[in-house]
Amino acid sequence: MTSRVGPVAAVLLVAAGIIAAAGVLHARDTRAPLPPSQERLMYLRSGRVADRAFLTFDAVAADVYWMRAIQHYGRDRRSLRQDGRFDLLQPLLDLTTTLDPYFNIAYRFGAVFLAMDQPNGPGRPDQAIDLLLKGLEHSPERWQYAHDIGFVHYWYTGDFTAAASWFDRAAEMPDAPGWIRQVAAVTLVEGGDRAGARRILSELLTSATDDYIRNAAERSLQQVQALDAIDELTGLIGQYRERVGRLPSGWGDLVRARLLPGLPVDSTGTPFAYDPSTGVVSLGAGSSLLPLPRGLSAR
Amino acid sequence: MTSAGRIGLVAWHVFKESVRDRVLYGIAGFAILLVASAFLIAQITAGQDVKIIKDLGLAVIELAGVLMAVVIGVGLVSREIDRRSIFALLAKPLPRWEFVVGKYCGLVLTLMVNVVGMTAVLYLFLFYAQSRIPIDSQAVLDSPVADPRLLLVVLMIGVELALLTAVALFFSTFSSSALLSIVFTLGLFVTGLLSADLRHFGDIVDVSPVVAWCVQAVGWAVPAFSAFDIKSQVVHGLDLPRGFVAGTLAYAALYVGALLVAAVSLFSRREFK
Amino acid sequence: MIAVRTEALTKDFSTGFWRPVPKRALDALSLDIPAGGVFGLLGPNGAGKSTTLKLLVDLLRPTSGRAELLGRPPGDTAARRRLGFLPENPTFYDHLTAEELLTYFAGLFGYTGTERRRRAAEALDRVGLSADRRRPIRGFSKGMVQRVGLAQALVNDPELVILDEPMSGLDPLGRRDVREMIAAIGAEGRTVLFSSHILSDAEDLCEHIAILAKGRLVAHGRVRDLTSDQVTGWRVVAVGGDEALYRRVVPGADVRALGGVRFQLDLPGDVRPEAIVAGLAAAGAALESVVPKRRSLEEVFVRALDGSGASDGNRGVMP
Repeated sequence: MTSRVGPVAAVLLVAAGIIAAAGVLHARDTRAPLPPSQERLMYLRSGRVADRAFLTFDAVAADVYWMRAIQHYGRDRRSLRQDGRFDLLQPLLDLTTTLDPYFNIAYRFGAVFLAMDQPNGPGRPDQAIDLLLKGLEHSPERWQYAHDIGFVHYWYTGDFTAAASWFDRAAEMPDAPGWIRQVAAVTLVEGGDRAGARRILSELLTSATDDYIRNAAERSLQQVQALDAIDELTGLIGQYRERVGRLPSGWGDLVRARLLPGLPVDSTGTPFAYDPSTGVVSLGAGSSLLPLPRGLSAR
Repeated sequence: MTSAGRIGLVAWHVFKESVRDRVLYGIAGFAILLVASAFLIAQITAGQDVKIIKDLGLAVIELAGVLMAVVIGVGLVSREIDRRSIFALLAKPLPRWEFVVGKYCGLVLTLMVNVVGMTAVLYLFLFYAQSRIPIDSQAVLDSPVADPRLLLVVLMIGVELALLTAVALFFSTFSSSALLSIVFTLGLFVTGLLSADLRHFGDIVDVSPVVAWCVQAVGWAVPAFSAFDIKSQVVHGLDLPRGFVAGTLAYAALYVGALLVAAVSLFSRREFK
Repeated sequence: MIAVRTEALTKDFSTGFWRPVPKRALDALSLDIPAGGVFGLLGPNGAGKSTTLKLLVDLLRPTSGRAELLGRPPGDTAARRRLGFLPENPTFYDHLTAEELLTYFAGLFGYTGTERRRRAAEALDRVGLSADRRRPIRGFSKGMVQRVGLAQALVNDPELVILDEPMSGLDPLGRRDVREMIAAIGAEGRTVLFSSHILSDAEDLCEHIAILAKGRLVAHGRVRDLTSDQVTGWRVVAVGGDEALYRRVVPGADVRALGGVRFQLDLPGDVRPEAIVAGLAAAGAALESVVPKRRSLEEVFVRALDGSGASDGNRGVMP
């Protein structure tokens, strides 16, 4: 007996079997699914052990941990959990950079993620700076790391003196672009006001090669523009008050008084908020430009 | 003699041959060493001792099982065909389908015996650990130290290996090179492990619907080896949803059936120069 | 009674990976093998003997044509119960002992328990391996492996025994043993079909033979008929005289000096020895021996191979 079933019939039978199996699997996953893994465990935290564990495959292991860091950031950012949000980010980045101490992107983007304010990030500029310092330890002449530390100070900690000194240090390093020296000077002199910020950001927009950094700079510039707009609006409210003798009750009053052409919106199209009892203008509550960075609220 | 009798005879001889195969002992011995070293590794990670032993132990059992399934599954049949010891056998009144099914049963039997052996060793270590850890510390653990539910995990691993063996047997019935069969089998195994991602490809990656559909179809068609993983669940002491085990067993049974039909069909047509 | 019948049995193999080219290993073989007795399938290497046997036991499938064993198609389970097969250069499951292998195979025929063990033991005894039955086959010499092979081919008491090159690779003692066993099997009334490229074996053992060359049947029939009882000539050894003398007395004879005063004369076909005796005596030569020459199988073989016309596939000679 060579074959009871003709070849075509056999193929059909096999295909039917596989399709039926896939159907059962699908049914199982819809009716009796396993809850998604809540696993947030990192077995290895010690860089030294990791180094030994991965033998000569450190670079690949660093890549894997980097991918885990990105996924962790992305997953937590999209989830609603509040408990321990982003808590594995720093250990993952630390391990990545221990396994591969010259992993440029891990240092720079990692610092960006770490410094980001809640709820978009862990809001840990100190960890961001530590990471960049580690990068400098291994590559002491990379001006980008020094520049980034300056930026974190400027944008997140509000320590303008430190920011200026880091920009200065960056300017000293080989291959540093010419405009850093100017930024350092400007920061020092003007103590981090809006004009200086605007200048730094415009330079970043034109010089940055990474889309992400460029987009971040764009957003920050829009925030500065919003602050300028708020100042302008506050001025207009003052004018109205002088003219009419009381605070306007809303934007409509200003429009009728021909002080405004229409409803004032920020660059995301969200209307500015106005509190008629205090006369304070602020960004609309739903605006994606919120929250505003620390160092720039004041003039 | 009935079909079942002949199949049993072939299966028994497969088992006998593998018991006398040194490769098997090599893999098993290595696995036991690794499980033993779980104790050492448990010291390095911050206070997760029992969990580490369980996780590592189960992973080692699974990995060793995979190695055995592939190497022995492919090796046995390829060697027979290569050395032509199969010729005299095929001239006997043994239909080819009985030969294939008998081989499969024998291989699965071999694997199960080994998996049971390694599980016993794991439990020995766990019982030892249980005797050494103070009772109050044990109370706060997610699951008991020598948790009988681990047997459920081992059952799932066993079913996974049965599916993998069917894949290995399928390739070796028609491929002329043992190495090629091993490569294909391992390749399909890895793809199967990633099949969950393939099945949701369209949701994760931005590509045209046609490409997404093709990739997803592959994800559904390949044997889903990742569907048997309940290690995390059981080690954390969580419940399994109702119908999960039954559904998984049904999936494996259907797929194994399909593979055996394919293997029998190919082997029945095979010629031996 | 016909044990094996083939009708225009043809087998093509396709060689080459990129552009497969069919190579014809067996070309329209039509042969009847009578039941009972020993049948030899002869031919040089690559003639298609192994291919034919494998087609008979369903290890290969024909490209066209048919074959029948004991009235059933190859691969038929019922027919296989009455069949024993020994492949060429056999290997068996090394890790088993001879006894275990035989018991395993006996089990596949459906024998159980005591009967199974008995048959296994008997088969091993028959081939002279009783003493070594508990040793793993891994340690067997080639001759012993061959004997295990014969044993497993006989374990089910088959009507038809097919042996592919059973004597290949054996030393003279081994060959003699196998020859004797084949003769014994044939004498028991079974049909034995074996292939070989060694002619002397066939001449002694077989009643019927078929000769294959390049996939074609070039000769077949009773050995006796093919080699013929007919005397084709005479070889005379004479003493005395010289070459010239002999050439004069027996013109047309092939004269050869054997050394000393002995001479060998191959008389032409039509000359009878009686005719020259008187002439030799008159010339002073003495007759030492007179031997008739008959056509040997080797001659049949060589002639068949040289002959350009291959057999047109007529049915073989019926007993």
